Formats: sequence, C-alpha cells, structure tokens
Amino acid sequence: MTINIEASNGVCHAQVTGEMTIYHAAEMKGELLPHLDGCNEMEINLSGVSEIDTAGFQLLLLVKREANRANKLLRFVAHSPATLEVLELLGIASNFGDTVPHVL
Amino acid sequence: MAKTVMVVDDSASLRQVVSIALRGAGYDVIEGCDGVDALSKLTGQKVHLVISDVNMPNMDGITFVKKLKQMAAYKFTPVIMLTTESQESKKQEGQAAGAKAWVVKPFLPTQMLAAVSKLVMA
Amino acid sequence: MRDTGLDQALQTFFMESRELLIAMEESLLALESAPDDTEAISAIFRAAHTIKGSGGMFGLDGIVAFTHVVENVLDRVRNGEVPVNGELIALLLCCRDHIGTLVEQLAADPDAKPDMETEANGVMLLNQLKAHSSTGQPPVAAVAPAPAKTQIVTQPPLDDGTVASDNWHISLRFARDVLRNGMDPLAFIRYLGNMGKIVHIAVLPDALPFAPDMDAESCYLGFEIDFHCDGIDKAAIEMVFEFVREDCSLRILPPHSRIEEYVELINDLPEDKIRLGELLINCGSLTKKELDEALRLQALRVESGQEAAPAETDAVSQLGDILVEQGMVQPELVDAALGKQKVAKENKVQESKLIRIQADKLDQLINLVGEIVITGAAVSLLAQRSSDSALQEATSTLSRLVEEIRDGALQLRMVQIGETFNRFNRVVRDVSKELNKDITLVIGGAETELDKSVVEKIGDPLMHLVRNSMDHGIEQTELRLQRGKPAKGTVHLNAYHESGSIVVEVGDDGGGLNRARIFAKALEKGLVTANQTLSDQEVYGLIFEAGFSTAEAVTNLSGRGVGMDVVRRNIEALRGTVEIDSREGVGTTVKIRLPLTLAIIDGFLMGVGSASYVVPLDMVMECVELSEAERYATRDSHYINLRGTVLPFIRLRDHFREQGKASRYEKIVVVQYGGQQAGLVVDELMGEFQAVIKPMGKFFSNLKGVSGSTILASGEVALVLEVSELIQRAVSLESHSISKV
Repeated sequence: MTINIEASNGVCHAQVTGEMTIYHAAEMKGELLPHLDGCNEMEINLSGVSEIDTAGFQLLLLVKREANRANKLLRFVAHSPATLEVLELLGIASNFGDTVPHVL
Repeated sequence: MAKTVMVVDDSASLRQVVSIALRGAGYDVIEGCDGVDALSKLTGQKVHLVISDVNMPNMDGITFVKKLKQMAAYKFTPVIMLTTESQESKKQEGQAAGAKAWVVKPFLPTQMLAAVSKLVMA
Repeated sequence: MRDTGLDQALQTFFMESRELLIAMEESLLALESAPDDTEAISAIFRAAHTIKGSGGMFGLDGIVAFTHVVENVLDRVRNGEVPVNGELIALLLCCRDHIGTLVEQLAADPDAKPDMETEANGVMLLNQLKAHSSTGQPPVAAVAPAPAKTQIVTQPPLDDGTVASDNWHISLRFARDVLRNGMDPLAFIRYLGNMGKIVHIAVLPDALPFAPDMDAESCYLGFEIDFHCDGIDKAAIEMVFEFVREDCSLRILPPHSRIEEYVELINDLPEDKIRLGELLINCGSLTKKELDEALRLQALRVESGQEAAPAETDAVSQLGDILVEQGMVQPELVDAALGKQKVAKENKVQESKLIRIQADKLDQLINLVGEIVITGAAVSLLAQRSSDSALQEATSTLSRLVEEIRDGALQLRMVQIGETFNRFNRVVRDVSKELNKDITLVIGGAETELDKSVVEKIGDPLMHLVRNSMDHGIEQTELRLQRGKPAKGTVHLNAYHESGSIVVEVGDDGGGLNRARIFAKALEKGLVTANQTLSDQEVYGLIFEAGFSTAEAVTNLSGRGVGMDVVRRNIEALRGTVEIDSREGVGTTVKIRLPLTLAIIDGFLMGVGSASYVVPLDMVMECVELSEAERYATRDSHYINLRGTVLPFIRLRDHFREQGKASRYEKIVVVQYGGQQAGLVVDELMGEFQAVIKPMGKFFSNLKGVSGSTILASGEVALVLEVSELIQRAVSLESHSISKV
C-alpha cells in the first residue's frame, strides 16, 4: 500500500494504491489524518485500491467524519472495482461520493 | 484477482480434494504437507486464508498457527482449523493460537467451500 | 465423484490409507514393547484420524463411522484415560485390519458395500471397542456449545401485534478484536448476500471514537440488516456468523416478529433508541406505525418499572477480554512439540525428496526404453554398414547414452526390500502368540534394493518360509533351555547384493534340519533310492520336493506337505534359485537368489528355421553338436546319451511347428533348471544377446513354453522360452518314448 500526496493551494490530493486492509490500516491512518489537518479540502483517489476490508472501509468513515467535524470538504473519487463492490454491498455507493453517508 | 488459500494437511488426498473444490470455485491454492513445509512456502506473498489440520507430523497445526501469527505478513490472516468433534480441547487451543474458524472432520468439499467463502469470497 | 480429478484423489486416498495402516501397525507393535511410547500413540491416533478425515471427504461413510470409534478410543489412550495393554493392542490391531479390509473393498469397487463377513466383523469390533469408549457422555456432547448470543426466542406469529415485514432482521455489533482475529465482518455480510437478498443494510459507526483514540486495527462498527431469504431458519443465519460467535453480538428477528420483540431489540442495543427506531424504519423492518406502537409499549414498561437496566455498556469489549484470557497457552506444550520436531526432521528431509508416480507410467517408460534400446541397436547396425564414419561415431555415442537411460530407467523401479520385511513384524508377533513361542524378528539389509515386480512376488514365498521357521525351526522354550539356548527364539530376514543378483535370507536359530529324517522320508516317498549318496545340500533340497513334509504333527500353520514346493516354484518363476544351509541344533538358513530385474535378461539366442528364440544365459549349460548318426538314431526317441547320462531333449522345430527342413548340422543346447537338465534341438547358435523382455499378450497366454518376447536389432521378434516348462515336456516325452521301447 502506498499513498501519494500532492498538495497545492490548500487542496490535498491523495492517491491510495494497493491493499486497504487491516495490514495497512494503522499506517494509512497515520498518513491520511495529518494531511487532512494540513489542508482545507481533500480529495482521495481510490482508483488504485486493489482490495478493501472492514478496517479499510472503517478508516474511510473515520476520515470522512473527521473532515465533517472540521468543516472541511472531503471527496472520494475514482473508486476502484474493489471499493465499489464494498460500497454496493453496504448499499451506500451512491452517497459515499462527496456527501456524508446517511449513517453518519 | 483471485484470492489465495493455503491448505496444510498431511493427507495428500485431502489436500487434493480441497484444492480441486477451491480451484473450481475460483481460488488460488498453495499446499503444505505439514507446519514446517507450510512455513517454508510462506515467503511474504499475499495469502487470504489458511486452512490447517491439527495433527500433523514435523510440526502440528497449533504450533504452525502460532508461528504464522508471529509473521508480520500473516498475523491477521484468518485460519480455519480442521478439528474433529473428539478434539474439542484442540479446537480451543487452536482458537487461542489464533485460528478462529474451524471445520469438523470429516467434511464434504461443499462444507469446506461454505466455510471458506464465509471468510473470503472468491 | 466421477470427476477425474476426484477419482485421482480417491486413488491417492487409498494409497495414503495403505501407508497409514502400515505405520499404524508398526506403531502398535512398537507399543507392545514400550506401552508408554507417546510418539507411537500419536502416530496411531494420527493414522486413524487422517483416514477418517479424508474418508469423510469422499463420503466413505462406512470407513468414517468405524474409524470414528477407533479414533475416540485412541484419543482416550492419548489422554491416559485408557491404559495400554496387550489386550487393547490386539483389539486395535484387529481394528486396523478391519479398516484395511474396508479400504481394499472400496479400492476394488468404490460403490461396493462391505460383504456380510466384513460387516459382522465390524460390529463385533465396535462392541469390543465400546468397553474402552468414554463411559459418560459421548464426546460430541462433552463440551456444551457456546451459548448463542441470540436472545429472542421465536414465537408463533400472532395475528395482531406482529410486524408486517416478511424479512429477517439481523442486528450485528462486532467486538473490537474481530479484525485482528482475521475475521472480516464484510466477508460474512457478503456471504449472507449470497445466501439470500440483503434488502437493506445500515452501517452504525456510533462507537467509532475520535481520531486520536481510534485504533485502526480495532472494529467499531455495527450493522442492521434487513434480510430476505425463503425457506431458512434462524439456525441457518446463526451459522453464517458461527466463526465470530465470540467476537460479535448477534440478534436475529424472524419475519413477522412481534412488535414487543423489536422493543426488546431496541432496548438491548447500545445506540440511541429514537435513532435506532428510525433506522429500523429505514431498513424496512418496521413501519412508522409499528414503531409508534413499539415506543408506546416501551413507555408502558418504563412506567411499570419493567425495563431492564441497559447493562450492555461494554459487553462487547468484555468479550474481547475474555478471549484474550482464553488465549493463554502453556509454554511447556510448545517446547515439547519443538523437541519432537527435531527427531522427525531427518525423516522429513528424505520424504520430501520422494515423488509418487503411478506404477503403470513407469512400466510404460521402461517399455519405451526397451524399444529405444532395440531401435538404437538397429540404427547402429545400419550405421556400421554405411561408410559414414561421422554417423558411426554419432550412433556409438547414442548407444552409450541409451544404455545409461536404460540403466537409469530400471533403477527407477528399484525399491527397498525393507517395507516387505517390516510386514513380517506383525506376522511373527501373531504367529508366535498362536504357537505360544517367544520369537523375535531381526531384520537386516532393509535398504537393499530390487525391482518392484520382484518385490511384489517375493512376499508369499517369504511368508511360507518365515512361518515354517517359526513352526518347525524354533523349538519349544523348554527344549531351547535344555539345549543351552536363550529362551527367546530368533528369526532373521536379511538381504544383500551379490554378483549381479540379490540374496534374501530367511533364517532361524532353531533345531536345524535332521538329515537322517529327511533322507528316510524321501526314501519312503520314493524320491531317492537307499544307495544314493547325496551331499547335505542335496538332502536338504529334498524338502522342496512336492508332497514332502517331515513334521510329525500337522499344525495349523504348516506341515501339511504343501508349501515348500510351492515356495520353490514361486521363486523359480522369478528366475531365482533357493538353497538351504542348516546345522542340527544350531539353526537353518534358506537362501533365495533372485535376479535384480525381470525386465532385461542376458539371453542366449538360437535360430530354428526362420525364427529366433532366446533362453536365459545362466540356464545354458553347454552346446553340443548332434551328429548325423545321433540324428538318425533319435528320429523317434527323445533322449540322447550325453557322456553316459540320459539327456531328454525336445526339438523346437516340432514344438513350435516350424516349417521347412531342419539344418544338416543341428545342435543341442543343454539347459538346466531346478536340478533337471534337458536339451533343446536348434538349427543355429547365434550367441549371447541382451534381451528386453516384453510380456506376451493375453492372446498368447496358453502358448506353452514361452514366457515373453523380445525384439532383435534387425526388428524381428524372438520368443523368450520358458525353460522349466520345456524341460518338463522333454522329460515326459522321454519317459513316453522309453515306455514305447
């Protein structure tokens, strides 16, 4: 799993590649949250996510909630097939884009 | 991408049947004939699930699972322990070692497939 | 099951079971002398365990049911609950044999039911096993299943007070540790989705803490699921989550549950009740009206003080703690396991170097190598005729390589005799009990290799010899002690290589053969005449004659006068020889000499008319010319006078009805077998020839005097002669012609 960060003008573009699983969850949390802190707007590109499990999904929820609490804009874009499968399974594919899932 | 399952059992015929069933369902399979053999084949590659017998020569299943759980690349990998109903204590020992799922021997290939797909869908 | 892959797996199972049963037997025998040998007990248990486990996968219920009981008893033995004694070992040996019978019957026909006798034997053994099975509860029930977390009992739906939805409602709250345990909640939900239809699912992240306190490897999520599936029961849904039973709080409401049950559910869940209610409406589990009703009922309860205190605050994390506590493992167990490993490791290294292949594949390879040898010889021949020296050089290199391939291929079929020898541990044990003699088996040269086809056929003769040694060789204990011998008798099996053949010895330290008694018996049977002078060897050899038996008492095992002659015939069929060495009062050793392989022989090639014949070179004694005068004299008779003795002979031309006139210079090839000599009359002697023997097809199986065929370098086929049959034929012709005179 790798996360590529590009930040400009307070907008942070994060690209996650590889497995978003429990094996990398702690590492991901450690990378994504500080970048969220340091920006006004964040876009997380999920196109390179090959696999995602509950830990990975839960982390996305956390980041989303933290962004909401800090009144920051967070978008998940370019969902890979693996991420889409999970969102569809949980019936939240349509609103896990740039709005808060209704469960939050 | 197909999910990878490792099957560890000293019975070649059991490995053969389980492998046929799993491959037929779309999994990739790695086989190990006992704990030592299995550990030697785990070289950091992604393994989504491990199925292991308890009673094996060279290294029994419990020791194998403990060692597996100590490896960074496999500490969270789910393990199905093959137990028998007469081995309730072994099942508990296996669960303590980190094998939280189990299938009771003897089983039919379909039963194994059901257990596997609860943990990892092909 | 008729899948080829599975068929192959089934074959693997049979092979594996045979090996396990051999290991089981060895360990059981080892247990007799060392009842505390835990290694042996584990090995026995493992054998039963594996056969049962693998057998179940193929649906071999008969094997599973029987082995299951055996396994239970063995488990109790392993736990020290059942003492190891001779009686138990004898019973377990019988059980082992019974499993073997079941396996073999299925190997012969996978659909077969065991025959009556087997069935009866199985029932008898099961009854005997019962005495050692657990006395109290059956092991299945020995451990109470963990209490299900489902708290709602299904009640018959009532007309009023039930909800409209015909979906199941599933409420899941996962324990913190579930992910670390390798269990992925999403995977179970995915499985549920495959089983039926997930109508609606709500993710509850309420327990997710603030970022700094959130452990990314812990699970904080809950799920409310509205699930539709026809024809299932609650247990089936519970089964989906069986692996997380301890890592998850699971509540299941059947379709049309009573509103009250939803009230209880809402009360039981940790989240805010109003929000939960809305969630249930979103899920479609409850309608707005039903929710209102539920909340009204709840209010009533609170008023009457019935509401249970929500004690569930931290139930989920408590579960995790319990799990960790349960996770304690005694370190000494691990150490013990590691200690055992070292011992087993060396075996393992050897094991992994072996691959298993089907015998017929190997036979096919050897057959092909045979063809290559022949074709290679033909190519060499052609090359020699041409004047192309480069070609000649190339073919000579090729010939050398082909020879190496041939040797290598034959080497592949070589197996160690040890496995065959080891089977006699059991035989000696059983027979010594039967005879009430104390006898031990000593095995030597177990690693000696010989052709698989020979090994397969040597078992029966060895069985006869070993039994004979035990029965007639080894004396009763009192007699042994009188003779100053140790009370315990010894039978030894030994094997070694000697000048291109393998020697297998069966010996004992018993009474030895009584020369005078054998001679007397032979005289009585008319096998010898009183004034014949015979060497010791020759006298001892008489016991291999048909119908010869000196035992005064006919026992169960041998002494019926059949056996020893069968032994000799079997060994001679393998182109082997047998001899006896014995010293009265000291012991007897039977020496069997066998060729290393049956596939290739050093042959002697002979021509008759246009046909060619081969006999094994070591059976050829000499070749003599048949003079014109002798030819004339023997036109009608079937013997000649060879240096003063009568030599019966057979004309191959007549025997094989070869067309054409005989050569003017016929020759007699004198062959010897089993102490008898005869002559084969041929036209031409063609010299030594290494022949790759190919078995005759079934079609030719009644062709007398032929054991196989081989192909010559020229491409022609030559028949390999069965010398023993031809000698018998010559002898009978001779006596016939003498009686005519």
